[in-house]
Amino acid sequence: MHNPPSEYLIQARGVEKHYRRGKVLVEALRGVDLDVPRGAFVVIVGPSGGGKTTLLHLLGGIDRPSAGKICVDGQALETASEADLTRFRRDHIGFVFQFYNLLPSLNALDNVILPLLAKGWARKKARQSGMAFLERVGLQARWQHMPGELSGGEQQRVAIARAMVGEPAVILADEPTGDLDSKSANSIISLMSELNQRLGVTFIVATHNLNLLKPSTCSYELEDGLLSPCSSSTSSA
Amino acid sequence: MLTLGYFIFKDLVYDRWRSLLTVSGIAVTVLAYLLLSSFAQAFQVFSQHPQMSSNLVVLAVDVIDPMESSLDEGVLQTVQKIAPDQIAQVFPVIFRHLNIQDQIMEIRAVPLEQMPTSLALTLDEGSWPDDQPEIVVGEDLARIAAWKTGSKVKIYGTDFLVVGLVSSGENNSGAIWMTYSEGQRLFSMRRGFQVGYLCLKPSANPESVRALLQADPRISSQYTVYLESALSSGYYQVYHNLLTLSHIMGLVALLAITFGTYNTTNLSLTERGHEIGLLRVLGFSQGKLCGFLLARTLVLTLAAFGVGWIIAVVFINYHRTHIAMGLSAAPIVLNLPPSAGLLGLALAIIFSSLGVWLTSGRLGGLSPLAGGDG
Repeated sequence: MHNPPSEYLIQARGVEKHYRRGKVLVEALRGVDLDVPRGAFVVIVGPSGGGKTTLLHLLGGIDRPSAGKICVDGQALETASEADLTRFRRDHIGFVFQFYNLLPSLNALDNVILPLLAKGWARKKARQSGMAFLERVGLQARWQHMPGELSGGEQQRVAIARAMVGEPAVILADEPTGDLDSKSANSIISLMSELNQRLGVTFIVATHNLNLLKPSTCSYELEDGLLSPCSSSTSSA
Repeated sequence: MLTLGYFIFKDLVYDRWRSLLTVSGIAVTVLAYLLLSSFAQAFQVFSQHPQMSSNLVVLAVDVIDPMESSLDEGVLQTVQKIAPDQIAQVFPVIFRHLNIQDQIMEIRAVPLEQMPTSLALTLDEGSWPDDQPEIVVGEDLARIAAWKTGSKVKIYGTDFLVVGLVSSGENNSGAIWMTYSEGQRLFSMRRGFQVGYLCLKPSANPESVRALLQADPRISSQYTVYLESALSSGYYQVYHNLLTLSHIMGLVALLAITFGTYNTTNLSLTERGHEIGLLRVLGFSQGKLCGFLLARTLVLTLAAFGVGWIIAVVFINYHRTHIAMGLSAAPIVLNLPPSAGLLGLALAIIFSSLGVWLTSGRLGGLSPLAGGDG
């Protein structure tokens, strides 16, 4: 499954994804090519239903392409087994979702350390590391709070800490500001930008929020399953 | 392990109402199993066939239940004439089932000298009855009816004095015993006596003697001769069947745990599939998640078994002290054998795990798939 090291963290070639919705064949992605260098902050914009989430799922090993090749951090995903994909997600990917996806039964700290527990870390050691990441997102004082006791912006910060705690090669963020007010959204954008610049974490963000284009190192538009570099008018929007 | 326990605890507390309902459901089935096991244990004593008796009994022709039989003295003389070298003793038995103190009790009137000899009764307390309104009582019956030596019992309109308590190796320690002459007086010899009891000599072959007697036209036309043990075997078979049925019902009750855990796990996966899908995305393998669900169910099952066990113990203790239950005047004493408890616990764990395992195939298909619109 390991490929020789490449200058790119992510390489996707001719990626297609088809699925059936009833009798209709939906072509969610139609030959996507993508190269992402390490430490990049990639933003993908596009209309709803354009294929952004599908692309992130394929890059994160949640789903498999119908055709094409995807290589992330030296791992070929299109031929990997289910168990290999589980290990791949655990060791290489951090996910941030629009609706945070925190477990409501666990407090902030326990939510953050879940990826470490999946790796088999002892809880005590995982909690120490988790606290450090909560501190990075400015929530160390609220580690005992349950998700329901946190604001949307705070929950998304916890989700970002959870995505980072396993020190993944890349963080895939799917509409990370989609459920936040503008103030919270700007705060999250600043946080991701800071983490990218200070820690060198690679981000791939799918969004409608054009403010996210500001910290991006490169941006793409995904429409009707086709990926293309952002036009300057979109970038400046 | 501690981490697993911590997260199971957090999850159970978070989902406490469903956890409570699951524990309650499993506890009810465990309780049903334990009570049925206890019931079966109580019946075990009735289903154990006594040692093969070397004696014969004579009843009216084709009669099985001694209560339906009516004999006269002539039959006892006839059987002695047919096999004088094989028969040591012959005596009549008056046999009745009567309602005494609102319980059906068995009364046997036999010649006094046969009580300790042919019938092998042992006097545990008091004295043997005399030819007056006196009785001795089987130890089990005395316990059920709370009688002791000196108690007065009204039988068939006559007050009898309990003069002794007896025990027996056979299952007849639930009977009331009086002398034959007292039985004759009490029942005015209506319907004669019911059973002719034949004690054979040690050298005699019981089956050969039975065949010989039954082949004689003087006997075959009016009487049926049984091996004493054969007469009771039908009852033992019924009790044995009842015992088997209780065990099967107990197992069926426990099997319901499988469906219960299957349903609750399935419902959890449906309602909380998003959370479990998220754990899959974060890198928890299907095996780890299945292990978590199994451990969580194990905790619920153990808790439910504890609850079921406690309720069963309380019920059985209450039953023992407050409710006298008997069969043919022999007490039915409920007990909770540890072996049944251990077997039940093992089966409860297996069946609940089976319920989880049956749903585990769904784990692979769960995904958070949230937030995206593309």
